[in-house]
Amino acid sequence: MQRSDILKLMNTVLVKRGRAEITSPTQTTRDAGFRSLDFSETALRIETMIGAELAFDAASMRRIETVADVLDFFEAATGQL
Amino acid sequence: MSPDGAPPICLHNRLHFADGTTEWAGLLAEAAQHLGAPARYAGLRVIFVVASARAALAALVYGLAHDLDCGVVETARLSPEVGARFAGAGVVLIDAGCGAVLGQGGDLAPEHQPAHGGDHVPGRVTVLTSGTTGLLKLIPHSAATLNTFDRVKSLPANGWFLPYQIGSYAWYQMVALGLFMPGQDLVPGDFSDLAASFAAALRCGTVTAISSTPTFWRHALMSIDADLLASAPLRRLSLGGEIVDQAILDRLAALYPQAQIRHIYASSEAGAAIVVTDGRAGFAESLLHHADGRIGLKIEEGRLFIRSPYGNKAAAGDWIDSGDLVENRAGRIYFCGRAGNSMINVGGQKAFPADIEAHLLSHPDVIWAQVTARRAPLVGYLPVASVVLGRKLEADTAEAMLTAHCQTRLADYAVPRLWDFPDTVPIRASLKS
Repeated sequence: MQRSDILKLMNTVLVKRGRAEITSPTQTTRDAGFRSLDFSETALRIETMIGAELAFDAASMRRIETVADVLDFFEAATGQL
Repeated sequence: MSPDGAPPICLHNRLHFADGTTEWAGLLAEAAQHLGAPARYAGLRVIFVVASARAALAALVYGLAHDLDCGVVETARLSPEVGARFAGAGVVLIDAGCGAVLGQGGDLAPEHQPAHGGDHVPGRVTVLTSGTTGLLKLIPHSAATLNTFDRVKSLPANGWFLPYQIGSYAWYQMVALGLFMPGQDLVPGDFSDLAASFAAALRCGTVTAISSTPTFWRHALMSIDADLLASAPLRRLSLGGEIVDQAILDRLAALYPQAQIRHIYASSEAGAAIVVTDGRAGFAESLLHHADGRIGLKIEEGRLFIRSPYGNKAAAGDWIDSGDLVENRAGRIYFCGRAGNSMINVGGQKAFPADIEAHLLSHPDVIWAQVTARRAPLVGYLPVASVVLGRKLEADTAEAMLTAHCQTRLADYAVPRLWDFPDTVPIRASLKS
């Protein structure tokens, strides 16, 4: 899945919650207000779009600190399918 | 007419069918013509297989009047699996239209002779429930245990719309009302098209009371002309069978300000237990302490236990685990759902679908809502909602509207994250959704 599409989904999740869109991939997830629930929702929406379950590596998830990390993660997770 | 020990049948109470009105006495005569002498069924545990509400009611009054060991089931519910279930219980299936013994698959098998396996209990009424697994369960009752109105001295005359599936516990409760309480007429509905049959009954003017579920009412509010509903001379509304939320109570109170509205908590095993008439969801904590000596309530580990003489385990001191989760909030006991499937663990936080659904239902545009858990990475599960709206909206617009609505009251982890908007209220055979 393209990074731009993933970013679009992340912003959809944020805006629905009344929060501002992401300004830069270098933003930390904390500064962007992108929380674990938002991450989970984004994952579910991606799964719904692609019609497949994503495999989650607990180790890789611990390295997620910035928006770019989230994009990397989902890009890799969808690319493996 | 009624055997000793059983309540007398009010033979002159009426039944209003779509094609005319009759009395129980008339149905009894009809059944006698079809089924012949009751001696044919002596020593047998029979289930009368019926094709219509009229046939079911006729067969039942025949069975009760003659103290048979009986019950009823619709032809459409028969299958090899159901037949095997009946056979395992020693039940003989009888065609209510002619008295013939049926094969266990429901087909006419003239070579079959009445079986004599299984026990026989005169006066037993077999109630069919789906149970928590969906498989058919046979719950033994009697006219006495089904007549939960025995402590009621009198009731004003009413015509009760009967929406329940033939043979279910709720159906038997309402039929018992019509059989044993003077002045209580029945207006049988067509379960295959409840909204249409309810509307037709309202037009006839024979309905002044109804016992049903919140899901039935949401379905009716969505399907029936608003003016017809509002003009109905309903005097008595009872709700039950599933959690009765404040939103539906408020809607019905606004629609029928002249009516007495109550909600009743009951189960097919415990029998009628709690009747609430104050217009509020849940029930007062004081009911836990002011048991009337016959019905007992207690809460243990968040679960409601009931002791009732109307249950099928009527031995004194038998507490029945209702399987319902409850919560005490400021002196009011609220139902939170069924044990085992009523709490969503969202990253360690507990979200209760019943609470979320109740809040969704408080929105004026929401007709029906169901919240379930969806497995999700990182947090384990997320709540997702299925909502039927009262007006057409784009999915994105509806989602934004309802998300904002949820955020006004619910914790972030309890706000549904995925939404779908079906066109109609899904309604199961139990009238529950």
